[in-house]
Amino acid sequence: MTSDVSVETFSARRTDVTGERVYRHDVIARATHWLWALAILVLVMSGLQIFNAAPYLDASDKSNPARRVLAFDARQVDGRPVGTTTVFGHTFNTTHLLGYTDDGMGAEDGRAFPGWATLPGPQDLADGRRWHLFFAWAMFIAWATYLISARLRGKLRELVMRRADFAKLLPMQLYYLRLRKEPPPHGTYNPLQKLTYNVVLFVMFPLIIITGLALSPGVDSAVPWLTPLLGGRQFARTWHFTLMALLIGYFATHLVLVLSTGFWNNMRSMITGWFVLGEHDGVGP
Amino acid sequence: MKRRLFVASSLAALGLTACGSAKDALTNGPFRKVLLSAEKLDHGVIGTRGLAREYRDSDIDRNFRVNGLDTPSDATYSSLVRDSFRGYRLIVDGLVERPQKLALAELRAAGERTQITRHDCVEGWSAIGKWRGVPLSTVIAMAQPKLGARYCVFHCFDVDQSAEHYYESLDLREAAHPQTVLALDLNDKPLDADHGAPVRLKIPTQLGYKSAKWVQRIELVADLRPIAGGGGGYWEDQGYEWYAGI
Repeated sequence: MTSDVSVETFSARRTDVTGERVYRHDVIARATHWLWALAILVLVMSGLQIFNAAPYLDASDKSNPARRVLAFDARQVDGRPVGTTTVFGHTFNTTHLLGYTDDGMGAEDGRAFPGWATLPGPQDLADGRRWHLFFAWAMFIAWATYLISARLRGKLRELVMRRADFAKLLPMQLYYLRLRKEPPPHGTYNPLQKLTYNVVLFVMFPLIIITGLALSPGVDSAVPWLTPLLGGRQFARTWHFTLMALLIGYFATHLVLVLSTGFWNNMRSMITGWFVLGEHDGVGP
Repeated sequence: MKRRLFVASSLAALGLTACGSAKDALTNGPFRKVLLSAEKLDHGVIGTRGLAREYRDSDIDRNFRVNGLDTPSDATYSSLVRDSFRGYRLIVDGLVERPQKLALAELRAAGERTQITRHDCVEGWSAIGKWRGVPLSTVIAMAQPKLGARYCVFHCFDVDQSAEHYYESLDLREAAHPQTVLALDLNDKPLDADHGAPVRLKIPTQLGYKSAKWVQRIELVADLRPIAGGGGGYWEDQGYEWYAGI
């Protein structure tokens, strides 16, 4: 808890502390942050590789085209290959982007997600699974390590969303939108940061692990109530994919905030731990 | 602000370009061993526990999707088909006290189990079928495994384009699972050639590629490494997990 002066309930822009350095992220927080970053990148890319082997999603237990919510396809139209994306029965031409794309070997082929987005690049389900199943453990271990460490250091208290935080969500949003001069009083994390991190850490991470495990026939036999709870195996696959899309949405938002609230300062604090206070404190990523 | 965005996006672009070659170097480099270690962890944590869900008649896929290699078309298999498999004998040998040569009628007489279970393909799709056959444990017990036997290897009729035979293997614990059966019927009819006639393995607690079709011979062994590519199965030799519970 080195010099957390800055962030202990400041209610206004504390010009008196601007320029002061604070130790914001301990070594466990930094290490697990970057491990997540790597793990999620690998998991998304290898996940898309695995998805390409059966490029459709059903809201059912066994595969059922009548319950298909998303499908990618390649077909010939007037002798030319066309890639299509079908969402809830609506088909779009997505040639070169989705359905008929980069095959990871310098050409194009019938392939849902392009080679540059998958791991490995070319079609390779076996290796995609190896990457995915290894980095799933990395992600889980980073998650558990962070939570245990934060709990032991008393940091978890600052992060967990409390009832009082909900009332501050709107004022904080207004402050972000520059419709309000000052952020509502808050601790280390502002109420919107808290909400986001709580959703990611306590809802999305556990759910993406659980929905992934529900695809496993071994888990389905050992824990027989889990897969039906998610609507069946194909439905679990659909949830798993949806959560991946939501995590990418979170990551995009995160990136915009990292860039717009003092990129170098943010990067420094996530690499060395030290953050320089300034006009952006309390509005971080 | 603009300059920073430019720097950041240049870094991102550079990262993406480096990604392609880095990705392939990592896949085949020394890191590969580390990558493969997850299989042992999954095997230990998930393993083979409990029973796969059994479904109702109304859940069955009447046109059960055909998977795997092409239906065998060699002279031996074709003549067996023409003969309605009257000449077929399932061989059980290797580290056993009493090697077996079992005709289909003997297999049917040995024991019976019917199960409607979901087949989960490694590609991601699932289908439900009704499998009737004889529990693998019954057949293995008939042959009386010797003390050193650890695995049963399923040698199959089907071959790929480079004339590699399909094979699979289970350890004796998985082989003893009550839902691990040598299926003779699918959806109340004897297996047809496309679905693995006359005998296929069906193990619903693992992914579909473990459920070897067109089984010709079951060999009990102490070690999988001397067989074919040494991975314990046709797909395993191509990088897929031997433990296919996930």
